[in-house]
Amino acid sequence: MKSILHRVKIQTRHETELINITGHVLELVKASGIKNGTVFVLSLHTTTAITVNEGLPDLEKDIANLIGKLVPENAIYNHARYLPSDGQMAINAPSHLRGALLGFQVFFPLEDGKMVTGSRQTIYFVELDGPQYRTYVVQILGE
Amino acid sequence: MIDFHTHPVMIKELVNSDADLDRSIHEVFGFHFPAQPLECFLLEMDEAGVETAVLLPLDCTTAHACRIVSNEQVTELVEKTPRFVGFCSVDPNQPDAPVEVERAVHHLGLRGLKLDPSLQCFDPASQECAYPLYQACAELDIPVLLHCGMSWAPSGLAELAQPLRLEKAIQAFPTVNFILAHFAWPWVQEATMLAVKYPNVFLDTAILYSGTPRDALTRVLARQVGLDTVECSLYNKIVFGTNYPRVDMRRFVRGLQGLGLSPTTEQAILSGNASRILKLTRQP
Repeated sequence: MKSILHRVKIQTRHETELINITGHVLELVKASGIKNGTVFVLSLHTTTAITVNEGLPDLEKDIANLIGKLVPENAIYNHARYLPSDGQMAINAPSHLRGALLGFQVFFPLEDGKMVTGSRQTIYFVELDGPQYRTYVVQILGE
Repeated sequence: MIDFHTHPVMIKELVNSDADLDRSIHEVFGFHFPAQPLECFLLEMDEAGVETAVLLPLDCTTAHACRIVSNEQVTELVEKTPRFVGFCSVDPNQPDAPVEVERAVHHLGLRGLKLDPSLQCFDPASQECAYPLYQACAELDIPVLLHCGMSWAPSGLAELAQPLRLEKAIQAFPTVNFILAHFAWPWVQEATMLAVKYPNVFLDTAILYSGTPRDALTRVLARQVGLDTVECSLYNKIVFGTNYPRVDMRRFVRGLQGLGLSPTTEQAILSGNASRILKLTRQP
């Protein structure tokens, strides 16, 4: 069994942002030469998310609006203090909690060289505390 | 908006090309978040609605054998974008410090002086090492921003940054604008007194010791100082500063805008007062 792992860098531009990464994931799968197995996509950050939904701008706005309402900016959070290990004020509890709600990874089966997805499924890297320079991982595992 | 208090310590282009800077940012400044491309700084400003940022370096040659971003590096950044205003820093313990200020202004194009008594280990009331620098500021017609109050830097001593230590210098150099950073927390009342009394004293809003920016700004400006005092006596004496990247600009802007200040005072704090002190011709 082969494992091919890519660390993909991405510059986000907004505080909250859904970025369609489907095309890039498909390119990496194609280039891997692996025909059957599994494709994993995961974010390396706790204030981002990876999610799947229909690739429509209105739904992107709805998702961003919903997580903002579910985890409001001005609620009371314990994560609101100086963090010596970073040398920064840790004041981004809403970003962490929004990430926890959306999740940090997705996977798809790989069959006959094609990623098995629903016709409307789009993979999003979700920035929740941007703008930042971020990394997500695509691992293609199989034969 | 103008952010009067930013540290260019998280910029990958600088850190990757200067191993000593990387070390001093970690060991002396106590900042450990991974560096990000310069573009991130500008995008953060965009997202926060900040047009202009004042970059503050720190020369700790005597105290810690390092510069936490040199004056030359600040100039490099300023040359990349008109959105940065560069301040210089010199080591007050070095005899040529006043000459260095002059060189930074005349040859590097820097527009103010940053001093941090806590981290540079000097007495800001000293007639031997501090007064010549204030004199240089007077002759060059530039402001001086002094760290006041608690320092997050591991070795930074707060006792050197008590605002009342500055009162005699403030009197002795009436043409120099003194900006007392962090509202001098926890010595907020003393700093407020200085700003109310002396025309040449200003306070920056980079107050954050616990809670969110909204919490800290509400606690200090609304409860300790009082919004009535801000509106009546400090509306033209406060400049907006975040202490980025120790704090993110976006949340700090929202925290300030959530205070319920009058539009005139809010505008003065967010840009008008800084614009006047920095003599900016364009209005960010």
